[in-house]
Amino acid sequence: MRIGLRRYLTAPFWIIPLVGALIVLALPLLGAAPAVLRVIVSICLLALLVVGLNVTFGYSGELALGQSALYAVGAYVAGYLAIQKFDLSVTFFVALMSAAVVGLLTGVPGLRLGSWSMAMVTFFLVLLVPDVVTLLTEQLGGPSGLTGIPLPVLFGAKLTTAGYYSLVVTVTIVFFAAVRNFIVSPHGQALRVMHESPVLARSLGFSVTRLKLTAYLIGAIPAGAAGALFAYQDGYISPTSFGLSMAIVILAGSIIGGSASIYGALVGAAIMVIGPLRATGVQQFSLIIFGLLLLLGALFFSGGIAQLFRTLVRRYLVRDEVLPDAQAAVPSDELISRLRGETLVVEQLVKRFGGNTALDDVSVTFAAGTVTGLIGPNGSGKTTLLNIVSGFYRPTAGSIRLEGDDLGSLQPHQVARRGVARTFQTPVIPKGLTAAESVAIAMQSAHGVSLPAAVLRLPGYRRTIRRHRQEALELLALLDIAHLADVDASALPLGTRRLLEVARALAADAKLILLDEPASGLDQGEVEELANLIRKLRASGATIVLVEHNFEMVMSVADHVYVLDTGRIVSSGDPDQVRNDPRVTEVYLGTAFAEKEQ
Amino acid sequence: MITTLWAGLSIGAVYALVAIAYNIVFVGTRVFNFAQAYILMIGTFIAVEAATRFNLPLIVAIVVCAAAGALIGAVEEIVAVRRLARTGSHNELVTTLGIGVILSGIALLVWGSEPRSVPYLKEFGVLEVLGGRITMGELLLIVVALVAGVGAWVLSTRTSIGLTALATSEDRDAAMLRGINVRWLATGAFTLAGALVGAVAPLVATKTYATYHLGEGLAVKAFLVLALGGFGSFLGALLAGSIVGVLEMFAARYLGSEWQNITVFVLLLIVLLVLPHGLFSRGKAQERVV
Repeated sequence: MRIGLRRYLTAPFWIIPLVGALIVLALPLLGAAPAVLRVIVSICLLALLVVGLNVTFGYSGELALGQSALYAVGAYVAGYLAIQKFDLSVTFFVALMSAAVVGLLTGVPGLRLGSWSMAMVTFFLVLLVPDVVTLLTEQLGGPSGLTGIPLPVLFGAKLTTAGYYSLVVTVTIVFFAAVRNFIVSPHGQALRVMHESPVLARSLGFSVTRLKLTAYLIGAIPAGAAGALFAYQDGYISPTSFGLSMAIVILAGSIIGGSASIYGALVGAAIMVIGPLRATGVQQFSLIIFGLLLLLGALFFSGGIAQLFRTLVRRYLVRDEVLPDAQAAVPSDELISRLRGETLVVEQLVKRFGGNTALDDVSVTFAAGTVTGLIGPNGSGKTTLLNIVSGFYRPTAGSIRLEGDDLGSLQPHQVARRGVARTFQTPVIPKGLTAAESVAIAMQSAHGVSLPAAVLRLPGYRRTIRRHRQEALELLALLDIAHLADVDASALPLGTRRLLEVARALAADAKLILLDEPASGLDQGEVEELANLIRKLRASGATIVLVEHNFEMVMSVADHVYVLDTGRIVSSGDPDQVRNDPRVTEVYLGTAFAEKEQ
Repeated sequence: MITTLWAGLSIGAVYALVAIAYNIVFVGTRVFNFAQAYILMIGTFIAVEAATRFNLPLIVAIVVCAAAGALIGAVEEIVAVRRLARTGSHNELVTTLGIGVILSGIALLVWGSEPRSVPYLKEFGVLEVLGGRITMGELLLIVVALVAGVGAWVLSTRTSIGLTALATSEDRDAAMLRGINVRWLATGAFTLAGALVGAVAPLVATKTYATYHLGEGLAVKAFLVLALGGFGSFLGALLAGSIVGVLEMFAARYLGSEWQNITVFVLLLIVLLVLPHGLFSRGKAQERVV
C-alpha cells in the first residue's frame, strides 16, 4: 500500500518519534530493569553528542571533532557547580553557555581556513582536556577525576534515580525537537544550499561564515547539555571519559546513523552503545573497529541508515502526485509588478588575473526598466563582468554603482542583499530541496523567519512559510513548471533547472537581474516563452542583463546590446545597430568574412 | 637555555618533517592526509623491532621503515582516497582519520600501550654544542629536516615532476587534458610522503620513544606548522617548525609541562585569526567561481 505524496509531505510524522519517546520516558513505570535504564541514558547522552555533530558535519559540512571536548566542558562545569551546591537549573544553564563559549572561541578561528582547519583545531581541543584538568587539579580533581558530585537538585527538590532518568530522556526529547525544527526550517535549508554550493548561498544573500558558525554553535549546545547530565550519572567524572576515542565514537555513530539526519543520530548512538561500546571482551580491538567503521562507513555507506530508510520509503511507500496548491497555482502579475528595477553604472572597469587582462576599461550602463544584452565569443569576459558585479571578484580598477551605491567593495552576500539576483551558466540546484523550496529559499535572507521562531515554532513561523510557498508556486507557474513544485529539484532536466533558476532570481525582489545564458539547453518553444517572460518583466519595470549565445533571442528582446571581445567593448547600441556593425561580424566570423560581406 | 633551544629545534624538526609530508600530499592531490603522522608512529615501532629483535644497523632500519611507510602510504591512497574521488564525495578527512585510528589500533594490539625506546645512536651519548646539550639523534633530525625541506622545495620548483604536481594541484582537469597521469601522481605523492616519514621514524624514535598515541600530537602540531608556514610552502614549514618547537619547549620549561600544548594551541588560534595564509603562502590562486 502506498500513501500519496501530499500525505507524505504534510502528515505530522513527528508524532511517531514523539510517541516512541514518551514510551521510553514511561519505561520505569512499566518496570524496566535498572540496567536497561542505564543503557538508555548512555544512548541519550551519546545521541545528543551525535546530533550536534550532525548539524556541523552532516548539514554544514565542517568536520568538528571537538564534541567530546565540549562534552567535557559541560560535565566539568556542571560537576564543579553541583559540588558547590548549586541547583540543577543553574548548573545546566551555565554548562550549556560554557560549551557555547568554548565552541565560539574555537569555531571562529577554525572556520578561517576551510575544512581541515576546523577538524584540526577541534581535534587539538580534545587533546587539551587532560592538560586543562591537570592545571585546575584543585577545582576539577586532576587526572584522578572529580569525585563527590551530589545527586541533582532541581528547584530545591532532590531527584531520585528515576527522576534523573526522566530528566535525561526529557532533555533529549527537547533538544531533538529543537534541532529538528532548525533543520527542516529555511535555516536548515540554507545550510544544505551552502553545503552543496557556497557560491549559490552567497548569491542568495547568506553569509557563509555566519551560517557555519550558527551551525557549529547549535551543534555545541547539545554537547554541553550531555556533559551536564553525564556529571550526575555516577557522581564521578575523569578526563579519560572525554578522550580521542570518545571523539571517534561520536563520529562513527554519526556516520552509521547518517550524518545528514536527525533521528539517524539516535540510531547511530544506539548501535554504538549496544554494539562496540558494551562488548568489553574486544577492548584491545576497539580502536581498529572504530577506525574501520569510519573508513568503511565513509566509503560505502555515506548516507548512513537514515538515507537508506528515506530512499526505501520514498521508493516503495510513496506515490508521486501533484499537490493541490501546486495544481491551483496561477501565474501572478502582482508578484512581478513588485519588481522595481534600478540602474547599474559600471565605469572604466579593469580586471586582471595575474598578467592576464580579462576586462580592459569596460564602461556599461544597465538602465532601469530595460533589458541589456551582453554578447561576445567565449572568453571575451562576459561572465567575468557578471562575477564582478555580483561581488565574487574584486575589480582591479573602476567603479560599479547601483543607483549611486558602490558595489565594488561589498561581499557577494551583501551585493545580493542590496538587490542583485543572478542565475548561473551551469545551473546550481542543490540536492535535497524540492523545486518550490529552492525558489522559496531565495526569500529567506531578506525577510525570512528568525532563528528563535524556527526553533521554537513561534506563531509567525507557519504563516511566513506558507506565504513563501505560495509565492514560490506562483513564480513557478509563471514559468509553467508549477506541476514540478514538489519533486527533487536537482533531478530535473537541464532546461527545467534553468527556468527554476530564473524563478529563484525573481523570488528575491531583485533590483537587478543577471541571467547567465538562460536559453542554452532550452528548446525553441521554451526559448520563445522565456523571451516573452523577459518582455513581461521589463514591462513591469525590472532591470535585466542577458548574457547569451543565442544571438536571435538577444536581438528579439534586448533594448540595448553590448558586444565584448577579449575584454573590451567593441560595439554597442540598439539591436539593429549592433547587427549591422562590421566589427561584430568580424568578432564572430573573422576578418576575411567581414571583408567579403562588404 | 641553549639546551632548551636545541630540544625545541629538534622536536620542531619532527613537526616540520610531518608538515613537509602533508605538503607533498597536498601539492600532489589537494588532500589533507590525517594519517600521515600515524604512519610515522608505525615506523617508530618498526625501528624498535629492527633494533631489538633483528639487530639491524641504523641505515638498514631506515630503509626498512621507509619501505614500510611507502607501502602504507600507497595502500592508503588506493583504499581510502581514490575511491572517494570516483564517487565525488569529499570525505577524505574521515577516511584518512579512519586509517590513522586503525594504525593506532594495530600498534596498540601488537606492541601494547607501554612506550618503547630504541637503542640507536646511544653510543654517542649527549653532545655539547654551542653551550647546550643535544643528542646525536636530535642533531641528525635537525639536519634531515633541513635537507628534506630544501630538497622538496628544489624538487617542486626545479624539476618537471615537481612542476607537474604543482600544475595538477592548481587545476586537476587542465592537467589531465595536458596528458598528466593524475592518478599515478596521487599515488606517487602518498607513497613519497609515506617513505619520508617512514625513513625518519628511527631518528624520531630516539627522541620521542615509540607509543601508539604518538600520531595524535604530531598530527595537530604539524598541522599548525603547515598553517603557520603556509600551505604548500616547504621552506615555510622549516621556519614554522622551529618556531613551534622552540615555543613549546620554552613554555614547558618556564610555565610547566601542562602549558606546553595549551601554548601551542593558543598560537594556532592566533595564526588562524591573524595570519590565515601563513608566513610564506604563495598567494591564493584565483579560482573561477562560477
